[in-house]
Amino acid sequence: MQQKLICDILPRVSKPARYSGGELNIIKKNWDFSGVKMLLAFPDVYEVGMSHVGSKILYGLVNERTNHLLERCYAPWPDMENEMRKEGIPLYALESFQPIENFDVIGFSLQYELSLTNVLNMLDLGRIPVLAKDRELQHPIVIGGGPVCANPEPFADFFDALVIGDGEEVIVEILNLVESCRGAQRRDLLMQLARLEGVYVPSLYEVEYNHAGRCQAIRPVDSAAPKRVRRRVVKSLDAAYFPNKPVVPYMSVVHDRAVVEVMRGCQRGCRFCHAGMVYRPVRERRLKTLLDQAEAQIRSTGYDEISLVSLSTLDFSQVKPLVTELAQKYAAEGIGVALPSLRVDQFSVEMASQVQKVRKTTLTLAPEAGTQRLRDAINKNVSEDQLLEAASAAFSSGWNALKLYFMIGLPGEREEDLEGISDLLFKVRHRGYELSRRKVEIRASLAYFVPKAHTPFQWRAQDSIAQLQEKRRYLTRRRLKGIKLSFHDEATSYLEGTIARGDRRMGEVILRAWQKGCRFDGWSEHFRFSAWMEAFEECGVDGDTYVTRRRAYEEFLPWDIIDSGIDREFLIQEDELAERGVSSSDCRMEGCNDCGVCTSLEVELDIAEDE
Amino acid sequence: MRLRVEYRVGPELRFLANLDMMHAMERTLRRARIPYALSEGFNPHIRLSLGTVLPVGLWGEREYFDIDLVAEMKAEKFVEQLNTVFPEGLKAAQAIAIEPSAPSIMSVVNAASYVFKVENAAAEVREQIKTMTTQPELVVPSRGKKKNRPKDLKPGIYKIKVKTEEQFDIIEVWASTGASVNVRFDELLDLMALMGLSRRQVADVWRGGNYCRVEGHFYTPMEQVKKV
Repeated sequence: MQQKLICDILPRVSKPARYSGGELNIIKKNWDFSGVKMLLAFPDVYEVGMSHVGSKILYGLVNERTNHLLERCYAPWPDMENEMRKEGIPLYALESFQPIENFDVIGFSLQYELSLTNVLNMLDLGRIPVLAKDRELQHPIVIGGGPVCANPEPFADFFDALVIGDGEEVIVEILNLVESCRGAQRRDLLMQLARLEGVYVPSLYEVEYNHAGRCQAIRPVDSAAPKRVRRRVVKSLDAAYFPNKPVVPYMSVVHDRAVVEVMRGCQRGCRFCHAGMVYRPVRERRLKTLLDQAEAQIRSTGYDEISLVSLSTLDFSQVKPLVTELAQKYAAEGIGVALPSLRVDQFSVEMASQVQKVRKTTLTLAPEAGTQRLRDAINKNVSEDQLLEAASAAFSSGWNALKLYFMIGLPGEREEDLEGISDLLFKVRHRGYELSRRKVEIRASLAYFVPKAHTPFQWRAQDSIAQLQEKRRYLTRRRLKGIKLSFHDEATSYLEGTIARGDRRMGEVILRAWQKGCRFDGWSEHFRFSAWMEAFEECGVDGDTYVTRRRAYEEFLPWDIIDSGIDREFLIQEDELAERGVSSSDCRMEGCNDCGVCTSLEVELDIAEDE
Repeated sequence: MRLRVEYRVGPELRFLANLDMMHAMERTLRRARIPYALSEGFNPHIRLSLGTVLPVGLWGEREYFDIDLVAEMKAEKFVEQLNTVFPEGLKAAQAIAIEPSAPSIMSVVNAASYVFKVENAAAEVREQIKTMTTQPELVVPSRGKKKNRPKDLKPGIYKIKVKTEEQFDIIEVWASTGASVNVRFDELLDLMALMGLSRRQVADVWRGGNYCRVEGHFYTPMEQVKKV
């Protein structure tokens, strides 16, 4: 098969290096002498999947530290899919070129709601039944993990098990269990899996709907299954595994650099932010650990840049010494430091100018909302002064392009908030005219707010497509000279909403949409909203009940089956504060806000400077 | 100092684009801790010149690059250090020190040989391929920038050798890569298809070498330097 691929098929497809494997630092374990064979399947194209840090962690952890084997696979682009279907080539792993049906476990990384049709497509290309109930003893166990699993119900039909929380905590337990249960009936294995903390086995639960067709309870039907599945967390990130020899792709990928994860979690408490809630609490790595990890990776990869990743790297307590030390140590070799996310303040810009000694291109800041009132309501604790100071600092230290992120459709948004976005953009542009010697370029990226499970806004209504289009028209009604606005797609945001807060009936819709040819829904050139609408229609599912409906605090929510560790009372309290436009504080600066994570998950805030 | 390096690109790396190869080489140089020279300016990069651009789909037996170093280094040592960190599929064969003022590798290479490993062709097809240079012209639709415009390959085809083995014929074609006529390997495949060789018969294609053709003689870029 490999020969046929190389000589006959790959020369005919775009970017064949996506499918040919053989990258630097890949680990090819002996198939026959390895324990459990697991495939890490990423339901998006190679360039996206190869940029994902979590996959790098799992790949190294399983292959270096256990007797099991973990190989990689990505979603083939439609041209490759056509060739594979035409030539009868099953989906295969990039290390061994084994068809994916030969693996014991297939784990999908679910990073984005709209990659689900790709999951089905990959299973189908791998000759594996897409519905969990149709799989038999010889089929792999199909599992999933990642942030989208915070509400697993919409895709529960396709998975044998789902991992809730930090995957590196659970993965080895799962593989060991699969190994010890060899030969067992599938259902017995699933019952064993359900006993592992952080593992949700959807087939062991029944869903109850009320007369209005609304999900009103999800109950275990087997004593092995817990009433709620508690999220797993890495207690000490500093002691946790991180790969020193990540795979280095040949072709250019989205994030083509070495990475160290400086911390996990973010304590800012923005009320719209899913990651800020479901990755709690903040856990930092120590300076020395990070310097060692950076050194090891630079030497093993040869990358010319090292990126410091986390949800908010500028909040890492040791960011200044870390950046300074890395920049000095590697400057002579032409190796630089990258900061992927910036806070809206002057300190951020200072740090950014320290690392960006090279060409100053675009600096990105995220005020999220146009007025102070709305920023307080969403708990984005940034003042207009801070933003303008940051912009001034950027323009006077040589940047001439600024990109600003905003959200539209936030709870409590009024006309004045939209007006506020334009005003803010004008003010920023004005600073640029005053301070920059070159032509100023202001770009604003406007995303539509999609309420997510386990956040204070989980009960709120999302704006309808028509409302969002109206707001877009409002913002574009007059030309803003020197300012470029780019909007997300309204229909895409709607579909995200159905999956983010849907229930198990969405499974049928996703299946139907895939059967109608939907895949790569997150890519505008492949997104077919009309096909999705047909799927909703044919399945008799009303997407609006998930998206545009305000829920009562008392209502059962499909994702209540998942215990994120955050108290429901805390979320209600935050939502009520939002209603009153009152912000709340950062728990590591001003004391605990009683979100409940640390006590219920038996973890602690872990800050490097506390030593 | 400047080194000229000969290396092999194995069949597993045949799908790399030129930029991919460039990155792979730069990363290799950093892993090997080679004392490379950096360019001036805000965005310093390694002073490396990949003189020969391998088309996507081909592997290469003998490819070349020039590199500037800031410290003296024995050529053998350089080769050894590179080979310890090269990914599977890349291998340095030899290196020689050259004058920093020597003409760039890019400017001296003007010919290459392409090797086609094909399932045994019919005798008359083989004969036609072998003697193609006796034809008055060899026209195919261009695959280059002037897509589909008729292009006469004849002035760019210098030499053809056909070796018949048990199952395969090995056809090696020496052709021009210069500015006047640039003969592409896929155009050669098209040409041979016109002579009756089916695409399905082609088991493998690679570049055998890169040459400086001077007065009808082929010198490798290494020999070319020594000659000067």
